[in-house]
Amino acid sequence: MTKLQEASQEEEEFVEAPPFDLLRVPLIGRFLEWKHARTLLAIPMLAVSVAMILQGLLGPTLAPKNLATVLTWVHFRGVLVLALLCAGNLFCLACPFMLVRNAMRRFVKPRFNWPRALRNKWIPVALFALLLFCYELFSLWSSPWLTAWVIVGYFAMVLVVDGFFKHATFCKYVCPIGQFNFIAATASPLEVAVRDHEVCDTCGTKDCIRGRREPAGRTDSELVILQRGCELALFQPAKVGNMDCTFCLDCVHACPHDNVGILSRLPAGELMTDPQRSGIGFFSRRKDIAGLTIVFCFGALMNAFGMVSPVYTVEAWLGRLLHVQERAPILGLLFVVFLLVEPALLLGGAAWATRAWAGVQGAWLSVTVRYTYSIAPLGFGMWLAHYGYHFFTGLYTIVPVTQNALAELGWPVLGDPRWTLVGLPKTIVEPLEFGFLLLGLAGSLLIAWRLAEDDSEQHAVRAFTPWAVVCVILFTASVWLMMQPMDMRATMMAG
Amino acid sequence: MPIRIHIFPQPVRVGVVKVVVTGVTDGLGEPLAGVHIQVEGDMAHPGMAPVFSDAPETAPGTYTARLNFSMPGDWVVLLHIRLADGSKIERQIDVRGVAGP
Repeated sequence: MTKLQEASQEEEEFVEAPPFDLLRVPLIGRFLEWKHARTLLAIPMLAVSVAMILQGLLGPTLAPKNLATVLTWVHFRGVLVLALLCAGNLFCLACPFMLVRNAMRRFVKPRFNWPRALRNKWIPVALFALLLFCYELFSLWSSPWLTAWVIVGYFAMVLVVDGFFKHATFCKYVCPIGQFNFIAATASPLEVAVRDHEVCDTCGTKDCIRGRREPAGRTDSELVILQRGCELALFQPAKVGNMDCTFCLDCVHACPHDNVGILSRLPAGELMTDPQRSGIGFFSRRKDIAGLTIVFCFGALMNAFGMVSPVYTVEAWLGRLLHVQERAPILGLLFVVFLLVEPALLLGGAAWATRAWAGVQGAWLSVTVRYTYSIAPLGFGMWLAHYGYHFFTGLYTIVPVTQNALAELGWPVLGDPRWTLVGLPKTIVEPLEFGFLLLGLAGSLLIAWRLAEDDSEQHAVRAFTPWAVVCVILFTASVWLMMQPMDMRATMMAG
Repeated sequence: MPIRIHIFPQPVRVGVVKVVVTGVTDGLGEPLAGVHIQVEGDMAHPGMAPVFSDAPETAPGTYTARLNFSMPGDWVVLLHIRLADGSKIERQIDVRGVAGP
């Protein structure tokens, strides 16, 4: 065999294998392709939400004994981030808010389009930051009653927004949990994507985005929706990555060619390039999504900082310095420092160095925005470490809390509460935490390197180094936070 | 029943503390017999390990338990009191800002 033939044979052997497709898995795939799969998944989520609201309002006032606080702040958050790490945006797939919203829309047809000026992420970015601020200010974790009202408020917000405005306005332009999921899902291993682009090239109906309708009444203008297309304006053939994808699977159900799957891909690979994305545009031109990434990453640090001892020293010092006794202004100042000043200095400084040292073209703000996405995996690693800690160390607490809830209803079928059931030991959980942080660091460094290579072939190391320094600083801060003794206080101003 | 709960030493720090329950008496101020008290400490944050301890009677109408506050932060101390006739009484106090060791 000649060398040419050998090379040709090797090439054939290295033909890229088709990606894993969750919808091709027996049973799971069949279930997810069923039109009512999402509804069926959302029903238990809605039932749990109602139980949480009722117990939060009427049940034990002590947070560790109440379903609302235990499920929300221990289990829901943990399962959410682990699902994002291992699969994708599964919470949005089974979103209970959408179930209620879909039921409402059977009776109330929204008439308005979301104002063009608000078609960006600035509102959810602000809501996300506000939620983190309220979590600390009102110690939501310690109050079943407030936690229940947060859930009630969420349902109300969904109904109001999607009652007035068409399509998935709430998901795309309002929902802070959704935005958290979208940005975290950029690092997920699964993506709703086209199986074969050549099939799309010959498709004449574009049902994946338009949906299917048929005449309903006497006039042709009255149409009834048989199957929705993508409500978030993601056109499958041009869709890139998980941003704005709720995994609702409307496109899967709408595609007449069975050409949309849930495919495996390189986690965070979508952040290494900057193609034009359907429904989004170029990441490098989206200051709002970069802002979301900043709140996602630096908010993770702030959220963890709020649960360790040094925060009280800092708050007491600030209180004395500014002669302020109230919690809100001190906490507000900390949030401004964490979410605005610190990112501006770190990211802005890195962008300045990249331009000056490596000669990367583009305005300072453009370079800042472009590279900001590289820190998304680090932020995700921090959320994983933080939420994973609570989830794993409190894993079994759901058992006695459920036993207690049923006993209080006069139906003690699960027996007396076993309050000694807690969770995994710290000797197991702490290595996991550091593993999550390391994974985030590796992802962020890889993205920064790929962007630097694209920007400056000759001086890639110079373009990369400032961002590597930022990543290492954030990673070090995260590790330091994780090593601090946990200290959860509702009395923030205690010295 | 004029039950009072005292925690020593003050200010409360991480580690073993003494929880003293006084006033376990009847309407005439006489100590009640056959009372069992279990003391439970919970962190204000859900998902944390609670700590338990039995409180034997150390003086007439006074019960003392040793409780291990395992981490800094806000704690809630619960008394689970079972009287001789089988009836149960619950009492709760907040222990704010348990400091680090």
